Amino acid sequence: MLRTYLAAYLFFLFAPIVIIVLFSFHSTPGLVFPMEGLSLRWYSELFDNRNFIVSLWNSIKVGFFTSVTTTFLGTLAGLALIRTRGSFRRAFELLNFMPIGLPGLFLGIALATLFAQIRLPRSLLTVTIAHVLFTLPFFVEAMRSRVTYFDQSLEEAARDLGANQFQTFRLVTIPILLPTIVGAAILTFALSFDEFIITVFVSGNDTTLPLFIWSMLRRTVDPSINAASVLALSLSILVLGAGGLSMWLQRKRAVAARLSEEG
Amino acid sequence: MATVTDYIESEEKPRRSVIRPVRMPQGFGVAAIPLAFLLFFFILPVIILFVTSFFTARSFVIEPVWNVQNYARILWAAGFWQATWVGLKNGFFTASFSVVLSFPIAYYIVYRARSNIILYLALLSWFSSYLVRVYAWRTILGTNGVINSLLMSMGIIDEPLEIILFSPFASVITLIHIMLPFALLILVSAMRDVKQEYLEAARDLGASVFSVIYKVILPMTHKGIVGSFMFSFILAAGDYVTPQLLGGREGVTSGLLIANQFRSAGNWPLGSAMAFVMMGTFIIVYVAFLLFLRLLRLAPGRRYDR
Repeated sequence: MLRTYLAAYLFFLFAPIVIIVLFSFHSTPGLVFPMEGLSLRWYSELFDNRNFIVSLWNSIKVGFFTSVTTTFLGTLAGLALIRTRGSFRRAFELLNFMPIGLPGLFLGIALATLFAQIRLPRSLLTVTIAHVLFTLPFFVEAMRSRVTYFDQSLEEAARDLGANQFQTFRLVTIPILLPTIVGAAILTFALSFDEFIITVFVSGNDTTLPLFIWSMLRRTVDPSINAASVLALSLSILVLGAGGLSMWLQRKRAVAARLSEEG
Repeated sequence: MATVTDYIESEEKPRRSVIRPVRMPQGFGVAAIPLAFLLFFFILPVIILFVTSFFTARSFVIEPVWNVQNYARILWAAGFWQATWVGLKNGFFTASFSVVLSFPIAYYIVYRARSNIILYLALLSWFSSYLVRVYAWRTILGTNGVINSLLMSMGIIDEPLEIILFSPFASVITLIHIMLPFALLILVSAMRDVKQEYLEAARDLGASVFSVIYKVILPMTHKGIVGSFMFSFILAAGDYVTPQLLGGREGVTSGLLIANQFRSAGNWPLGSAMAFVMMGTFIIVYVAFLLFLRLLRLAPGRRYDR
């Protein structure tokens, strides 16, 4: 019974997405079953659209810079969680978590008023700042579960064996945390790539891919939205797949190293 | 001239700097940079927003004149409360369905499944763009959409049903679809704390499957359930995209009203005040939900697994 329910649950999750993928290959503009034939015309229309290419490239840029910045800030926050105790730690954890405990709308308008006050013109920079704020809590959450099991005596052992602070950090702390950091960085990219709710309020004239899709959605029912959606989707999946693969390989290598030590 | 104190202070300085994080004993040094970022780009904007809510907008310019007119105006605006009610209903239905529908799946993933494949699939759908999914539901529910054309070709209806698109129902089903994977993830991570042995112990002592769920899993995962519910609730109730694209005239939410103040109409102070009123209603719902769980005796005062 549970299995049947599981199948229904997954059907509900994926049927809408599958429908979009199917219609992106539809040869006529209609969104009606049965389909009347397959073609790639919506994709070629999309790639002839300069705005699409520009916004795709903007999204990749923003995703990259968001990912780098969030990784830097998030790793520091993760290291801080290893070292802090007591009420300072609790306050710090809460502060790191809060941005996703609020609706995106709220963050968006709060940042919009800040940028207006400090007279920072809206651009891809303000979008990147907003995305860092939005992704940082996810990054820190991912780090937190790893950091909880972090064995600080490993750092102490390295210090006892004569490593200085920096060597300890580079040779012990970072290698232990690296798989989590890589995974979280990729998660950050994917989150930034999809972000729309906050972006609306902080973007200037440069559009990102979700903003481009939004402008299409508002105009008319244009079947190339399907194609744009599928491309956005496959890029997210590609990035996540690459991330999953790299983490899996790292884990496999770690297990192999452990086994060869024992054997 | 270098004195002893100078020497000591210059020794102290690098220990305080944030460039070499590992030297900080209490971890404040490493925390400083993310802390500064969050203070400047999170706490400060919220404070500015709050201050703005007491200002006035005159022809698109914010005038720093302290007053409570915005709040007074909201208090007497029936349209705003109507929209708030729609938003809260969206949040409530979305959160309830997301948690209840995901709970058995979380149970399956944690205690029955041999691999994490289902979890990865759920993650995958979580990352399939938000807008794309809203659009997908428009395709499905639309006048010439999948459901209408299916029903018509089967001869059940003669002309397309207009009510399924542009209604609060369309908003809620889309929001459930969006929040479901998120609710599931939170439930799964909460349930992982409840070890299989606890369930076996309860079974050995004669509990049925359902009393294991009711007496062991539910109380021990109640924090996760509250988290899962509140997350879905806040994100769904505060959403403005789904109501705008699918909600129709009856589906206007306070989130949409706020977003419009900041996108087109341009009365930012009024929009800020609305946002704080909206947050206030969320807090009330949170407290009410906690009290409700306590009444049902599903919220123990302490956790058993620590």
